[in-house]
Amino acid sequence: MKSTVQDNKIEAMPKTKPQRRNQTFWQRFVSQGQLILMSVPMLIYVIIFAYVPLWGWLMAFQQYKPRGGSIFSQQWVGLDQFKFLFMDEGFTRVLRNTIAMSVISLVLSFITAIGFAILLQEIKRSFFKRWIQTISYLPHFLSWVIVTGIVATSLSTEDGIVNIVLMKLHLIDSPILWLGEGKYFWGIVGASNVWKEVGWNAIIYLAAISAIDPSLYEAAEMDGASRYRKIWHITLPGIKPVIIILLIMNLGWILNGGGFEVQYFLGNGQVVDWSETIDIFVLKYGLRIGNYSLGTAAGIFKTVVSIVLLFMANSIAKRLGEERLI
Amino acid sequence: MGVMARKTWMSVMASTFAASLVLAGCSNNSNNGNASPSEAANQAGNSPSASASASASPSAGGEEKLDPVTISFFNGYGGVVPTDDNKIYKVFKDELGVTLKEEYLVGDLEQKLGVMIAGGDYPDMITANAKLTAAGAMIPLEDLIEKNAPNLKKHYEKVWNMLKDPDDGHIYWLPNFGVYQGDFKPTIYQGPAFYIQKAILKEFGYPKITSLDEYFDLIEKYKAKYPEIDGQPTIGYTTLAFDWRVFGLRNAPEHLAGYPNDGQVVVDPNTNVASLFEGNDISKPYYKKLNDENAKGIVDKEAFAQNYDQYLAKIASGRVLGMFDQHWNFQQGEDTLKSQEKFDRMYVGLPLVYDPSIKDYYLDRPTVNLVNGVGITTKAADPVRILKFLDAMVTEKYSKIINWGIEGQDYQVGDNGLYYRTPEQRKQQDDVAWKKANKAEALLNAIPKLEGNYPDGNADTPGNQPDEFFATLKPIDQELLAAYGHKLWSDFFSPPPENRISYPAWNIDLVDGSPAKIADQKMKDLALKYLPKAILTKPENFDSVWNEYSNAMGKVDTKAYLDRVNSQLKWRQDNWSSK
Amino acid sequence: MRTATKRVRVEPFVFHTLNTIFMIAIAVVTLYPFLNTLAVSFNSGVDTTRGGIYVLPRIWTFSNYKAVFATGDVGHAFWVSIARTVVATFVGVFLTAMLAYALSRKEFMFRRSITIIFILTMYFSAGVIPTYFIVKDLHLLNTFLVYILVPSGTAGLISAFNVLVVRTYIKTLPESLIESGRLDGAGDFRVFMSIILPLCAPVLATISLFIAVGQWNSWFDTFLYTSSRQNLSTLQFELMKLLQSTMNSNTTQTSTSAAGQISNMVTPLSIRAAITIVAAAPILVVYPFLQRHFVTGLQVGGVKE
Repeated sequence: MKSTVQDNKIEAMPKTKPQRRNQTFWQRFVSQGQLILMSVPMLIYVIIFAYVPLWGWLMAFQQYKPRGGSIFSQQWVGLDQFKFLFMDEGFTRVLRNTIAMSVISLVLSFITAIGFAILLQEIKRSFFKRWIQTISYLPHFLSWVIVTGIVATSLSTEDGIVNIVLMKLHLIDSPILWLGEGKYFWGIVGASNVWKEVGWNAIIYLAAISAIDPSLYEAAEMDGASRYRKIWHITLPGIKPVIIILLIMNLGWILNGGGFEVQYFLGNGQVVDWSETIDIFVLKYGLRIGNYSLGTAAGIFKTVVSIVLLFMANSIAKRLGEERLI
Repeated sequence: MGVMARKTWMSVMASTFAASLVLAGCSNNSNNGNASPSEAANQAGNSPSASASASASPSAGGEEKLDPVTISFFNGYGGVVPTDDNKIYKVFKDELGVTLKEEYLVGDLEQKLGVMIAGGDYPDMITANAKLTAAGAMIPLEDLIEKNAPNLKKHYEKVWNMLKDPDDGHIYWLPNFGVYQGDFKPTIYQGPAFYIQKAILKEFGYPKITSLDEYFDLIEKYKAKYPEIDGQPTIGYTTLAFDWRVFGLRNAPEHLAGYPNDGQVVVDPNTNVASLFEGNDISKPYYKKLNDENAKGIVDKEAFAQNYDQYLAKIASGRVLGMFDQHWNFQQGEDTLKSQEKFDRMYVGLPLVYDPSIKDYYLDRPTVNLVNGVGITTKAADPVRILKFLDAMVTEKYSKIINWGIEGQDYQVGDNGLYYRTPEQRKQQDDVAWKKANKAEALLNAIPKLEGNYPDGNADTPGNQPDEFFATLKPIDQELLAAYGHKLWSDFFSPPPENRISYPAWNIDLVDGSPAKIADQKMKDLALKYLPKAILTKPENFDSVWNEYSNAMGKVDTKAYLDRVNSQLKWRQDNWSSK
Repeated sequence: MRTATKRVRVEPFVFHTLNTIFMIAIAVVTLYPFLNTLAVSFNSGVDTTRGGIYVLPRIWTFSNYKAVFATGDVGHAFWVSIARTVVATFVGVFLTAMLAYALSRKEFMFRRSITIIFILTMYFSAGVIPTYFIVKDLHLLNTFLVYILVPSGTAGLISAFNVLVVRTYIKTLPESLIESGRLDGAGDFRVFMSIILPLCAPVLATISLFIAVGQWNSWFDTFLYTSSRQNLSTLQFELMKLLQSTMNSNTTQTSTSAAGQISNMVTPLSIRAAITIVAAAPILVVYPFLQRHFVTGLQVGGVKE
């Protein structure tokens, strides 16, 4: 058995390393036959269901009207849809809000989920640990309309718990109209995201932590390492690849504004200068007024930005010698 | 870093968008958010004295014993889905030979229709949407009706020209609501008004109130006298500007100025020309008044940041003294008051005007619910058969079956020939499971129907039977109505004049993606942004905020908007007048 | 010296106490919205409108749940949902892991190109209508297969996100394990099946949760692709239907309800709460079985042996 593998190696690459490159394409193709079989069917699948429908993007360069028949007989307008999006006087504000809320939600979500996962891991009684974990991810199963409803009630000036507590603590003299002032809005969105998703987001880190070789901890213990040193030198490095991967992937979603419904349900006329994101702008000036091309144009814009950011983040990770996506 | 939630962000956005529409209850497709289509008609749908258009002729389509047929129907209004063995559908099957294969909307209508049009997969019959006619999915009905559907022809006779498509003159849709005959007189009032708690009127001896000053004066006095209601602070005046429910904030000025509900324009009845009222002197006095009242602590500071549930909760707590709204929009809150038997905390609507020289025009005559109802698609194998089914629905016999139900099971006939329900029969109407098996409400909501009274004196539906109305009046209601010398809630409003031919402007199609539609959206955005600011600012700053608002309005392409509205108003004037 | 030993004893105690308190605080804060929804679902809808429901119902009722279960097709739709979730989860997890393994192999010639092709799918979507055409052309409309195959909303056969998560996990496994498999003469597929799959249990438990929840919650594909076949309807879709019908009937028909009999009426708010609980319950029941794989600190047995 052993010998066959070695024989193959010898035949295929007589010297050792550099010779791998000298293999012909077909030789490599044949020797990696199993890997190809394990991946190419899924490649075909994703091309059919994700890439082929991309002809729909043509719509971004049209003034699409149902009256106009199929997509190939529509009126072409070039880049007019993009112009409408970028030339709108509110666009920079909308872009600013989107990025700000994305970054806030991203940072808060990462820190809380990782922190929560690590602290939970320190709980020794597994029964208690399991209960806390189960409870923490429950809000994930509530729709945003329910959660934002609870957020709005909690922040109310009438009998909202947040104002009551702050008043009791004498931190404020009169109730604050949290949802009526723009300066609070981004923070509320970030906090709502954390509230709803912290437990769910932690799941992936818990899985990563559980894969860390326990012997590392045992060895550290023998060396007398403190709890914090173990977290810093074993746990965090152990889950670092996952953190980096998720971070890179999430950077690509920076134009999603940290969700859509949360701003949609919590936003109002008073805070619109802080709450309106690209998605909401497209909803109002695209879908809702029957300009379907605008949504597609905005989608293309977001995709381009995503991909640029993604490759940038990836190359930074590469330069730093960290785990990377590609 | 939502884990699954961002997998394919655009499709997620598409679905969350649809979901949010569903969850926000935004099934509304009128361009002003004045009322959902069925609602608009429903609020006018209480007219005991309208004489029915139903002839007593028994020549319903079903009597001819046609071959059994299955009609597929997509109901874009949604509704309570009937069971397979539903009693009413069984009658249709047994007597008319028609089996309905229904599909109900779930999610976003526009998206569903987009897919339907893209694939060309239409049902036989479908609820109205301009997109479908634009895509050429519908067949013209006027000739088919002339030849095959005498009852429908008779039903729509008076409004025949209005049904024609502005683009090609064909009739594609059979409206579901708003075709009445005879004099029109609703019992309750569901439309826009300045609502005030009955307790306040009682407290001050039922004064006559016609102006904003009198209205707020009363609220101020009452609030001063009762700073708390049921242990919680009294709220003088609130309003709602959440999601699509923004008319409470935006629409009051047109009514104060004596105009009917034309949406975001006022139309000169003589010249038939529309102009804007937002951001100019027609609306300024109202918001100035709210600004003053805010300084006095009357206006709810949270009004513009609250969501619909919070608004309803305030109404239901019985401590909101007044608000401008449409009744159906806050009805759920009032239902809660009713269930707590706080009848004096319920509301009565008042038609306030800027000054006594203005005649109020809040209550209007019903209008045909255009581009609503149902139509027949090009995929229908036998359009005539479908029309015959709809024709039967506007006969007295089937109208009663679908509205009232079956005698003895769903209602009784009194000695005087008037129908009534026993308490048990009334109670079963609240049982969702029972309704699924015994009612066809979702279908009724969509199809052509008789409205008004039947020749035998019964109202079209149980809810409009006058006895039913009087039975719901509580002592405080009787006292209040008597004090003002009124019989019905609608008596508070001036009797509506004959509708302007082009009325109402709010249902004008602004054309998808057009500059007019963009302008409409911009005006809405500006109103939601600046009106709260203007109301909540210090009185000395009001003018500067208002100027900011006016300037921002000046930058909007309002000309495109008005041009579209006016060209349609003119078209209606030219084409709808000739009968 | 003495203080040092004392600190060593005191520190764990302080840490554990604080940590326990902190965890309980998180539990309270995250449990509240769920308890609130539960309370609303058991409270009279008309009364809920008043607000002020926190963790206990004020006026108990089962009418919200009755309304949910009165929806005739919930039973059948429940089984369809179970079926799609189970099938898609098993198939999806297996394919995800297999692809992730292939993409984790440094020597794999198409590694980079396939990875990029997959990653990009996370950042675009062609829109509903072009995808609809694909489904139609492949004759998948109104078939069960559509649930397994067609990416839509939260559901999909294989997602780049999951593949990357698993790939990252595989890369952290000691390379020596794979090499040892190789030395036994196993091909890639056998290495994957006999070495990688068992070692990946924690991460596979995690993504199976993601896939299952996505499948379970999906209603958009029913809405688009199978809505004309009632026997393919899913639980979430039936619940959405119910929610929508409650909303419609609530704005149009309350005027007909007679006085004094409205206390049993459901409202959109109350029915939504009941629907949420009904929809979430099965996942909550299944969860503990998956949970032990990634919470109790799984011993990576393979490493030691």
